[in-house]
Amino acid sequence: MSAGALLRRVAAVRTPDGAVLHAVVDGSDDAPVTLVLAHGWTLAQAAWDDVAELVTPRVAAGELRLIRYDQRGHGRSTWRSPTSPGHASEVAELAIDQLGADLGELIDQLAPTGPVVLAGHSMGGMTIMCLAAARAELFGERVRGVALVSTSAGDLAPAGKTAAERLQLKLTPGVVTVAISAARTLERMRRLLPPTNPRHQKLVRELLYGADATDEMVIAGAEIMHASTVRAFAAFYPALGRHDKRRHLTALRNVPVEILVGDSDQLTPQRHSRQLAEALPDAALHVAERTGHMLPQERAQLVAEAIERLLVAATAGRAAA
Amino acid sequence: MTSTLETHPTDSGRPAGAVREVSVAIIGSGFAGLGMAIALERRGQTDFVVLERADDVGGTWRDNTYPGAACDVQSNLYSFSFAQNPDWGRSYSEQPEIQAYLQATADRFDVRRHCVFGADVTAARWDDAAQRWLVSTTAGEFRARVLISAAGALADPACPDIPGLDTFAGTVMHSARWNSSHDLTGERVAVIGTGASAVQLVPAIQPIVASIAVYQRTPAWVVPRTDHPVQPWTRRLYRLVPGLQNAIRGFLYLFREFLVIGMAKNRRFLEPVERLAKAHLHRQVRDPKLRRALTPDYTIGCKRILISNDYFPAVAAPNAELVTAGLAEIRPHSVVTTDGVERPTETIVLATGFHVTDLPIAGKIRGRDGRTLADVWSHGMGSNRSTAVAGFPNLFLLVGPNVGVGHTSMVYMIESQVAYVDDALKTMDAEGLAVLETTLEAQEAWRSLIARKSRGTVWLAGGCASWYLDRHGHNTTLWPDFTFRFRKLTRTLDRENYVGIPAGTQHPEVAA
Repeated sequence: MSAGALLRRVAAVRTPDGAVLHAVVDGSDDAPVTLVLAHGWTLAQAAWDDVAELVTPRVAAGELRLIRYDQRGHGRSTWRSPTSPGHASEVAELAIDQLGADLGELIDQLAPTGPVVLAGHSMGGMTIMCLAAARAELFGERVRGVALVSTSAGDLAPAGKTAAERLQLKLTPGVVTVAISAARTLERMRRLLPPTNPRHQKLVRELLYGADATDEMVIAGAEIMHASTVRAFAAFYPALGRHDKRRHLTALRNVPVEILVGDSDQLTPQRHSRQLAEALPDAALHVAERTGHMLPQERAQLVAEAIERLLVAATAGRAAA
Repeated sequence: MTSTLETHPTDSGRPAGAVREVSVAIIGSGFAGLGMAIALERRGQTDFVVLERADDVGGTWRDNTYPGAACDVQSNLYSFSFAQNPDWGRSYSEQPEIQAYLQATADRFDVRRHCVFGADVTAARWDDAAQRWLVSTTAGEFRARVLISAAGALADPACPDIPGLDTFAGTVMHSARWNSSHDLTGERVAVIGTGASAVQLVPAIQPIVASIAVYQRTPAWVVPRTDHPVQPWTRRLYRLVPGLQNAIRGFLYLFREFLVIGMAKNRRFLEPVERLAKAHLHRQVRDPKLRRALTPDYTIGCKRILISNDYFPAVAAPNAELVTAGLAEIRPHSVVTTDGVERPTETIVLATGFHVTDLPIAGKIRGRDGRTLADVWSHGMGSNRSTAVAGFPNLFLLVGPNVGVGHTSMVYMIESQVAYVDDALKTMDAEGLAVLETTLEAQEAWRSLIARKSRGTVWLAGGCASWYLDRHGHNTTLWPDFTFRFRKLTRTLDRENYVGIPAGTQHPEVAA
């Protein structure tokens, strides 16, 4: 590669059911290791921009190939093709397992050889767990490291212990159906409170960010979420509740794992990461102080460092047995 | 693609006998050239040739065969008033249908027999002693009493000067010189430019290419396209009800003319159009970053307003990328931008427009004092009524300076000019004039009229740089007022602005 230029190409990955995933591949194909970043629910690959920027010097130096992609139904990526079989069953069938399969497809098509490090934020972390459960053979030989950021192996749904929780459980499928059928109206309502609105920002800050987050971060995050569709919100909401890979993490024991979480994360509170760390005794757990759910933005440096440790290990050829 | 040939007609070495004598020579066979030819033919003036560099009629509509090429004006309006077509398949026709219409119209009025194909004009010189234009073409020499240039403004592709473009190992093609035998399927394609051609071709090729990078310098305002197929019953109705198609044409004309109020009179009237364009972008593009990159910072109308329903979705597609960083260089297998990003590329599509303010034909036409029109125009394209130039006797320009329109049908302007030129020819015959030449005073009056009308228009004051303005920032391409005002000014020859020399003499008439 000629000096000073960063190679970039856009790739459209077609999945067997006809969804098209938008991926941006930075760096040379003969780089010694590939890093794939999976984003979270109602976000897009842009949520990883800060971390990507920190690892770009490695890309420019020819040491790393970086793949960012939009999960199906998010960002530029499409839903499954309307003509694919079984489409009538619609979104009720959606599970995070589908996202795991998508990630596998993406690796097969864009990084068919060589070591790979995966990093997933929130639903992106669950995506990696689903891939590990479905295609354990990838982990160790091909996938040489995993960063699980602000994520969970399961138990996210209301437990149904109280009457309110039971009611919530009962109502969820209906609410989702209504949300999807009324998506257009909801979209219009959302426009009434755009990310530029201080109340919108306050809402986002309180739900997703920790005490140290800058307004810049909050606005950037709010904008990415505002760009996602009501359908993406509604389609994956029940899937997140059903996600349970607590007994299917074995494959992740074959590779170095870094677990990161913010101490004030309200969506996937600390206990989820601690559960993961218990299931993966060799994994390193980092709890960031005064930090919410948006670790790749709030603590980009910390996340990038964890990823770099994984990259170094991966290229040292030490696939933990 | 612009010829650098400066062959002097007398040096061409052809035997004198090969020179063909004609009364009128028309350069080009697009809407303007054909319109002129048909006007002559219809009144029984058959002593003329149409010099066409290609092998068919059609001009811009013959050359622009890129996927998705279509007209931004409804066909009911974008067609000759004397040759309405009840059979248009769509409200906004695509290139093949418009080209077929031009071919059919040429046949219907039997003007093809006047066409000399493969005749690329290399030089045209006024011989003052003989009072003839000597026209050298790649198909022979011609001597004409009158020369009419209908070479057009969207004729010669402009190629950007990007370092390394000539070192590119893949395919490079200009949108106006599309190579349909080159299959883009599965290729990594770069499209340079985001003007009217890009907006049409990007959605046409995006679904088949592996990836498409659209290199944007300035975003364009895009409004919805109200295109629809014309129903068979509508077509029957056009045939059955006399005047119906004309009435619709009139309605479309009037409706579009309202835009002039905003563009040329009071920019406040453009605000609803800008709101429409913003809502269109908002609805079609969700990503705020992409939306910002696609939002122009100038008033709508300053650059040509584009109409498309599929450009934004194509740019936001999973295999697409909008690149806003400037172009730094082109390498054999990639395009590099100023931010240091290098994108592997197999085919480069130049959607970079045409030589509009520096018409290449102007460099080939030499007037009485031996200077080319380009030399005379080095400080801006001057003319009388956009058609005649002092020092260039018996020369008429169609689609020359200040007749361009961005809001309505160019054919309306062309027909206005054709009528004007036709009246000039009839005047010459009636008065027995060998030579007719406009004056510098008339040119100055026209220039100041254009300057006055252009002041405060969105093209000058809208905060953008466009191909409408020349390098001095003057509007030398657009007609800056209602088009019916242009028609009124060119309905008949303004005889007072011309000096005539009666046949058989070498001296101008004495003013009465």
